[in-house]
Amino acid sequence: MTSRRRAEPVTIVAAGAVTPLGADLDGFWSGLVTGTDGISMIERFPVDDLRVGRGGEIKKLKPMPPVGRAGCRATQLLLAAAQDLLARAPLSAAPERVAVVVGTALGGVEQLERAIAQKGRVRHAARAFYDSPAHGLARWLGARGPVLTVGTACAAGATALGTGAELLHAGVVDAVIAGGYDGLCRFVMRGFDALRSLTRERIRPFDRRRSGLLLGEAAALVLMTRDEGGGGPRLGRLLGHASASDGSHISAPDPKGRGLEFAVRTALDEAGLTADSIEFVSAHGTGTPLNDRIEAEVLRRTLGQRTSRIPVNSIKGALGHSMGAAATLEALTCLLASRDGVVPHTVGLEEPDPVCDLDHVMGSPRAVRPHVSLSTSLGFGGCNAALVLEGASA
Amino acid sequence: MSVALEAVSVLTGWGPGTDALPADAAQAAGGRAVIPLGRPALDGDRFRRATRECLLGVAAVDALLRESGIDRDIIRGCSTALLYVTAAAYGSSNQAFVVAEALRQARTTGAVSGGTYFPYTAPSTMAGEVAIEFELTGPYGILIGGAAATIDALWQATRLIADGRCERALVLAVETFEECADLYSRGRWLVKRPLVEAAACALLVPGVRRVRYDAPRTPSALETLARARAGETFACGPLIALALARAAGAADSVALTGEWRGRRAGLYWE
Repeated sequence: MTSRRRAEPVTIVAAGAVTPLGADLDGFWSGLVTGTDGISMIERFPVDDLRVGRGGEIKKLKPMPPVGRAGCRATQLLLAAAQDLLARAPLSAAPERVAVVVGTALGGVEQLERAIAQKGRVRHAARAFYDSPAHGLARWLGARGPVLTVGTACAAGATALGTGAELLHAGVVDAVIAGGYDGLCRFVMRGFDALRSLTRERIRPFDRRRSGLLLGEAAALVLMTRDEGGGGPRLGRLLGHASASDGSHISAPDPKGRGLEFAVRTALDEAGLTADSIEFVSAHGTGTPLNDRIEAEVLRRTLGQRTSRIPVNSIKGALGHSMGAAATLEALTCLLASRDGVVPHTVGLEEPDPVCDLDHVMGSPRAVRPHVSLSTSLGFGGCNAALVLEGASA
Repeated sequence: MSVALEAVSVLTGWGPGTDALPADAAQAAGGRAVIPLGRPALDGDRFRRATRECLLGVAAVDALLRESGIDRDIIRGCSTALLYVTAAAYGSSNQAFVVAEALRQARTTGAVSGGTYFPYTAPSTMAGEVAIEFELTGPYGILIGGAAATIDALWQATRLIADGRCERALVLAVETFEECADLYSRGRWLVKRPLVEAAACALLVPGVRRVRYDAPRTPSALETLARARAGETFACGPLIALALARAAGAADSVALTGEWRGRRAGLYWE
């Protein structure tokens, strides 16, 4: 490849979220910083026949105005995050100049279960399309620009931010609501249970005793605009992004992490930065034996000698693996760490695995104000993504 | 942004290529709601558990390479981007998992809802199988949606090439309907008929044609033609339209549009 063009940064004006740690962005962040455990027994659907019935379930969801008749849980999660976002930053662009780009691993699949049930209604089938929640969000926002659903599994929340940035770079729209979501449902709990990926213990990212992940549900959205130096509050900037394929295995990461390495190097290249600029890594860190080892190896290769001095954390110990929402929440962790000068610790990490030798933030939060951060993500199908973010405190 | 269409392949329930498309899909369907596309017979133990939609994706890329005389080695590696689009092809594996799970809960034996099958419910697995088969390790994108999403994917591919982030890009779409025919029949007013299963792939490379992205209100002549001849193929529509334009010798200047859920996107090669 020749003459690669450096990407123009885009501004991340504000964010909104709903997570097992709290009903809004503030609840998410304070929960992370205080080391709150968002894992509990799942109550919304039966789990008594599963090996593992715990997860990051959101127990109370604020009642939202219905979107037509498409008020499925996934859409409700998205709307809750959007309501939080709009409370922080109004959407002022013309409706036809606003795009919605959201990532998901499951879409509205819970509706398919209802549609197939004997008395399931056809509207459940219509909502079962994986892009239904995104269109519900666009209707609720009154956005009439492109509506895109990114399906790169558990990396989708990062790829969505990158795709949104592309729309801004090209001048297709003036504002993008981007992020990710996924709700817990019987379908995904049973699937991961059958895969034996869920731990019966606690989630321990990068710990030598790590034995698997737990799932969580969440939605997180950001408002992005072109970086035109305007006033007003902002969280930071997306400097570079990349997605890459492993071409290796459908449900396991490439043994050498080649796709993730390509994504990290490309994102840095797009940002016009070297690894020396990275001051914090919000890692994918699922707590599965394979992922954490491979991710640590990739970080050591790509960040070089400074790796031992770059703080690394994983938020999944606190709220579970929130699938489509995870990468967006991890990007927000980078920006909020920069804003507040504190990096949350990795809940569940007590005895770092020597094969995951990194500068883990463990035990308690660390007082550090990262300027430029890296967020890494992986997903089913050999999906990898990396984001390079700059905090507003810079 | 300047790109060229190097090759395009089309497999539909009507047969391989655009020559197999009838003049009037609705008439040719003769009242059938779904025109199915069979499971491709691909060699290799790796494909033993792969779903039909995964194999259709592999078959579409294979057809593209074979018909255009491009060696697999050309696309292998990190210089080729893969952008995959589908509105509904995950439906069959999702439905199979849900039904099998219901049977399992009812203690009926023989249902397969185990860990081996669960990964195949993810749309990303379809693109993953293609990436594995052709050793694609470059830029990667998956969009869920119909024809408008395919226009978005073609536009993304154009940008990846124009920005030097890849040397070529595959835009692949797969749609299957047969396993969920009952659901579609219950919602028959939501989608046009006949639903025609399809897999299509386009290979874009750097070129001299300028590409413009837009949001038109009305369908282009090509969109109308592709729908009339192929039927409802969701995300495959724009790629079938490209193939029709190429077959007519008009691929140099193309107005490509696609609609999904009330939104129409357009891509103009000028």
